[in-house]
Amino acid sequence: MSSASWGWTPVPRPTSTPVARRGGPGGPAQTWRSAPRLREHRSKLARPGGIGPLACLLLLAVPLAAQDARQIVAESQRRGRADSQRYEGSLEVISANNKVSKKHWQSDRLGSYGNSKALIRFTEPAEVKGVALLVVNHPERSSDQWMWTPAIGRDRRIAQQDRSTRFFGTDFSFEDLEERDVGQFDYSLQGEEAIDGAPCWRIESKPKEGKSSQYTSSRVWIRKDNYVPVQYENYVKDKLVRRLAEKDIQNIQGIWTARQLEMTDLGRKSRTILKLENVRYNVPMKDADFTVQALRRQM
Amino acid sequence: MTRRVLGPGFWALAFAAGALGQSFTERGFLETDFIGYPQTAPNDSGQAIGEALFRYEAFYKLDSDWQFAGGIDARADTHEQVDRAWELSWDDRESRRPSFEVRQLNATYSKKKLTLVLGKQFVRWGKADILNPTDRFAPQDYLSVVDSDFLAISAARATYGGQSNTIDLVWAPLFTPSRIPLLDQRWSNLPSGIALTELPPSFPGGSQFGARWNHIGSVAEYSLSFYDGHNNLPLFNFQEPQPLTVDVERYYPQMRMYGGDAAIPLKGVTVKAEAAYFTSATKTEDEYALYVVQVERQAGEWFFIGGYAGQVVTEHRSVFDFAPDRGLTSAFLGRAGCTIDTNRSVALETAVRQNGKGEWAKLEYSQAFGAHWRATAAFTLIRGDESDFLGQYRRNSHTMLALRYSF
Repeated sequence: MSSASWGWTPVPRPTSTPVARRGGPGGPAQTWRSAPRLREHRSKLARPGGIGPLACLLLLAVPLAAQDARQIVAESQRRGRADSQRYEGSLEVISANNKVSKKHWQSDRLGSYGNSKALIRFTEPAEVKGVALLVVNHPERSSDQWMWTPAIGRDRRIAQQDRSTRFFGTDFSFEDLEERDVGQFDYSLQGEEAIDGAPCWRIESKPKEGKSSQYTSSRVWIRKDNYVPVQYENYVKDKLVRRLAEKDIQNIQGIWTARQLEMTDLGRKSRTILKLENVRYNVPMKDADFTVQALRRQM
Repeated sequence: MTRRVLGPGFWALAFAAGALGQSFTERGFLETDFIGYPQTAPNDSGQAIGEALFRYEAFYKLDSDWQFAGGIDARADTHEQVDRAWELSWDDRESRRPSFEVRQLNATYSKKKLTLVLGKQFVRWGKADILNPTDRFAPQDYLSVVDSDFLAISAARATYGGQSNTIDLVWAPLFTPSRIPLLDQRWSNLPSGIALTELPPSFPGGSQFGARWNHIGSVAEYSLSFYDGHNNLPLFNFQEPQPLTVDVERYYPQMRMYGGDAAIPLKGVTVKAEAAYFTSATKTEDEYALYVVQVERQAGEWFFIGGYAGQVVTEHRSVFDFAPDRGLTSAFLGRAGCTIDTNRSVALETAVRQNGKGEWAKLEYSQAFGAHWRATAAFTLIRGDESDFLGQYRRNSHTMLALRYSF
């Protein structure tokens, strides 16, 4: 679940240790999708004519900083790329008055960042067993999401304006389940700060104009040693509404993976702890299993 | 000796179960309901009903192409809405609910863009939430008219397409009727003092066929659908062999449907619309159009659905029918719900006839206890005139308490 900015599917944000991957769709070529645009932007600014060298330098400083932040995010995403991912999620939703409810789901994801598709299917508790969410991410716009409820035998598309609501009683919103392309946001490097003793970059992201999001801005802390994001904060205007902490980071099949995610809803004063078990990458999966048709198959 | 003989078999089974566990899932529940009616009805003095339902469903994925699903319902009640004969029903043609019923049993084959489902299955069409005019392969159990439940059909279904465009073809060789209220019980709303005899129903032969094209776009979803078969809701023949004695025969008119539905997410709400036009070669069946327009919105822990269902009769021919789908038209429909916390929720559904002659509202509160138990309390209020489809059930306001154990 992500921070609004580069969002993810309840897919732990992996980082570090690049592994050999195929090119083509979902491959490394997409990772730097935004880079050519940035270079083009820079070259226009640097073009001589009217603006003096000092002014040029001053103007360049902002986009260069933006590029740095974007490149950090892009590198973080690149290191987490895999053809697919599967895990079993164990959730504890802890309400403001410390009532605990437990849920389990299985998550399958095909592809990475931008073009990925994810299918989450609840396996526990018994009364929600079979409820499923399909997320189809797009590089240029918000994801499409459908929810399947076996008790009524219907799938329901989650409308854009409903994405800020909680996902099935957890502290993750539907939008938090998206996995967004780096090109959908503007980034700025805010500084450096240690999280749990590890030096991190603190990066702010804002949705680009025309991009709809419940969050006005987000901040992410990315570790400098291995590019692992360890904390996200999501803001509505200037108010912090959700915080995601990523813990228990382990190297799984060459990808640094957070095994525990803790999302706190500061408005409700509740939190959800998601533990990832049996995480596997590059599991053979079929594209046809990530459609609305497949969502209705009740396994 | 026994241990030596059974030993290898036991381990083989244990291994098989382990392998099966990779792709085998099951779920189900046991639910007991208590329903209380404050008022008696002319043909039914019963005011308290107890019901029990055990449902078990299992799914097995053989490999990446094949999947199997099966489910069974077992029921009992105190009001003889459930058949006392302990027989297993497949085709759901009984007047009463069967004590044992195959809920679904089907095989699914999927390869690339093609999905084939063969067997007893649920087929749901349409996008609206309260009334679905295009949902022609979805007969329902209307024994308690306002608390209906869907029935599966025996069919072959082929779906071809990707995420954006799909073609859905359904062929049902065996007709499955909706289950209508029992003549000797309150939801049939018949006067007392008349001896009614139900003659064996006349089920149509032949098969039902339907096709639906569905498009999922970035700004809207929409579909066109066609159905050729029979209406799963009956018309009635009445005969009066002697005074105060009436013989009733159900029959099911031929039906052809041309329909469409759409869902359009706008900035503030999602608009859903669904409409269908019905023609019939049966001379006693109306020709008409049904349509629904609704908006829905989720806000925080709340969801709201509100809309209007309408009907246009192009040719009026039927005399006696049971048509809850048409009975809910010319009405404003609404549903609202709130998730109070992770365990508790409350919901309100309502339908109000445009002419004010019939109103129905259901308020429901539900609470989970632990991982398996859920209790639900509901109150249904029905008001209106005798002449109105909803109003005729004005003596059937009721409360319901349900306790469910899910596994």
